[in-house]
Amino acid sequence: MSKRTKIVLAAWGAVMIAAALIGGTMLATRGSSKSAAPTATIQGAAAVNRLLAGIPQQGAILGKPDAPVTLVEYADLQCPFCARVAVGDFPTIVRDYVRPGHVRVIFNGLSFVGTDSVTALETALSAGSQEHLWNVVQLLYANQGTENTGWVTEDLLRSVGKAVPGLDVASMLAGRSASEVAAARVAAQQSATTAGVTGTPTFAVGKTNGVLSVLPASDGQTVRSALDAALVR
Amino acid sequence: MRLRIAIGALALAGAGIASYLTVVKLAHTSPVCPTGGCATVQRSRYSELAGIPIALFGLFAYVTVFATALRREEGAAVAGAAVALAGVAYAAYLLVVQLAVIDAVCTWCVASDVVLVLLATFTVARLRQSSS
Repeated sequence: MSKRTKIVLAAWGAVMIAAALIGGTMLATRGSSKSAAPTATIQGAAAVNRLLAGIPQQGAILGKPDAPVTLVEYADLQCPFCARVAVGDFPTIVRDYVRPGHVRVIFNGLSFVGTDSVTALETALSAGSQEHLWNVVQLLYANQGTENTGWVTEDLLRSVGKAVPGLDVASMLAGRSASEVAAARVAAQQSATTAGVTGTPTFAVGKTNGVLSVLPASDGQTVRSALDAALVR
Repeated sequence: MRLRIAIGALALAGAGIASYLTVVKLAHTSPVCPTGGCATVQRSRYSELAGIPIALFGLFAYVTVFATALRREEGAAVAGAAVALAGVAYAAYLLVVQLAVIDAVCTWCVASDVVLVLLATFTVARLRQSSS
């Protein structure tokens, strides 16, 4: 075999392999290559932004840091019951207890349902470093898909991020692999284990910096009653 | 002989990178990443083809090139160069995708790209050197 023949053969082989790979990738990702601009339609963005506007956020904490009562929510962003509470009961709790400064809420995110939970939680925690965790959490609940179907796409996350005023979407996405995010996930899981959480959503209520009691049920009325009781103690 | 050793060493280095990215992808975790773009790239639709992680294709390519470095035959030199050149072409395509579509750059992928370019250079040099 001459030197020229060998080079031609190698080049021909390379072209064939590369064409197969690039062609296959282009076919498989058809429709997603237009641009990085988010395209998913986000439900409830205006309502969520209105609900949370002006309320202080610090990482996973929503509300005045020195509020007398603390409400902790153990939740998985894929859990349908969590979404129901978030969309149905949570707005009134925010309006009646958090906005006036009586209660602060801590999001203790878990990710036991599946890989979509992990992606969603890491994104929310990363948004927390920009003090926008609760906006992302509420918008993910409002746009929740069926468990473990791959609904937490990059496009959805970009669209959610874009719907949050003042959030740097690129930083949020890049920050998901930060060690702080991984540490927060581990800490949340440990907290849930210590509290004896066996399902989501689970709420715990008590005086800030005091002992919190895990509530026997997660409906809005139970949470409100527990908050009222903690506030008068 | 020196070229074959260099090709083998580079292929092993590339296989190490590809193995790490494959494991991270299959475990649904985030790779350690100095720029933060690795997770975005790893979770994009471009990170797999027909359900198979792209990193696994890369691992297969590196192992193939390593195998060709172990053999003296002209056919092995041709196959090694073909795979390495194809790898460079595909890596270039994916780099454009990272910059223009995903809007994030995976440092591990760039490291793999550098290894691929060196591999292509050495495998072509081996091809030119081998007896006609």
